[in-house]
Amino acid sequence: MRVIVRTVSELCITVGTVIVLFVVYVLFWTGVRADSVMDEQIERLRAQWQRERAQPLPGSPLGPRKQRPYAAGRPFAIMYIPRFGFTWNKPVLEGTDPDTLRKGLGHYPHTARLGERGNVAVAGHRRTHGDPFKDFPRLRCGDAVVVTDGATWFTYRIDKGPYKTVPTDIEVIDPVPRTSGYTRPGRYLTLTTCEPEWGHSHRLIVWAHLDSTQPVETGKPEALRR
Amino acid sequence: MYSWIWRHLPGNGWVKALISLVLIIAVVYILFQYVFPWAEPLLPFNDVTVDNQ
Repeated sequence: MRVIVRTVSELCITVGTVIVLFVVYVLFWTGVRADSVMDEQIERLRAQWQRERAQPLPGSPLGPRKQRPYAAGRPFAIMYIPRFGFTWNKPVLEGTDPDTLRKGLGHYPHTARLGERGNVAVAGHRRTHGDPFKDFPRLRCGDAVVVTDGATWFTYRIDKGPYKTVPTDIEVIDPVPRTSGYTRPGRYLTLTTCEPEWGHSHRLIVWAHLDSTQPVETGKPEALRR
Repeated sequence: MYSWIWRHLPGNGWVKALISLVLIIAVVYILFQYVFPWAEPLLPFNDVTVDNQ
């Protein structure tokens, strides 16, 4: 009898310890891992862009670099959102599966490419894995979302949001997103994350339109200058 | 359970304590490296896309 009581209580303590460790893992350790993984992705991108600049593709020595298809699970751009702080920058990877979203923001496959006509849709974690979109509700109309693919700076301006919707509302990432207020085809950007902060019952959306583009050689765009 | 493990560890008190420490670290490592990454997507924090695309 004593052995049974003791074993059961030991098991309870063990389970409790494992739960506490799991909370530490989710709240703290995923952030530590995400920070180093995202920095690594950004480093990789910058190194790749440097190489490409050193050896321009043949045939277009001065013209804009021909865009390659985005490879699944690989970074292709860096996003800056001044509203989240001047040091906030995150890699954007192709795909939105959990493994990709651990390493940065995820570009929905089959949505438009940067600067293209259509809708560039990007998803990111609100909480855990570095909390990239933690301040999502603070985004306001007119805020800049700056993205670079190594050759061009794309400055998008937010027109509407944060808009709360349900997870099945896939029309928010359509080329002309429903309920966004846009009526004509254009060059749009949609960001999505979860709502509420720790839940998954809803999604938060913001929409932006392409405001300006400039080659990287001309320096940082206006929105990123302090 | 733990006293049973303690009794079955070899060596004197210090050696047992050392082996226990190594065992604890190994268990925590396995949890953080393999078990938690598997369990974490089952929580709702990963649902940040519309229609789980």
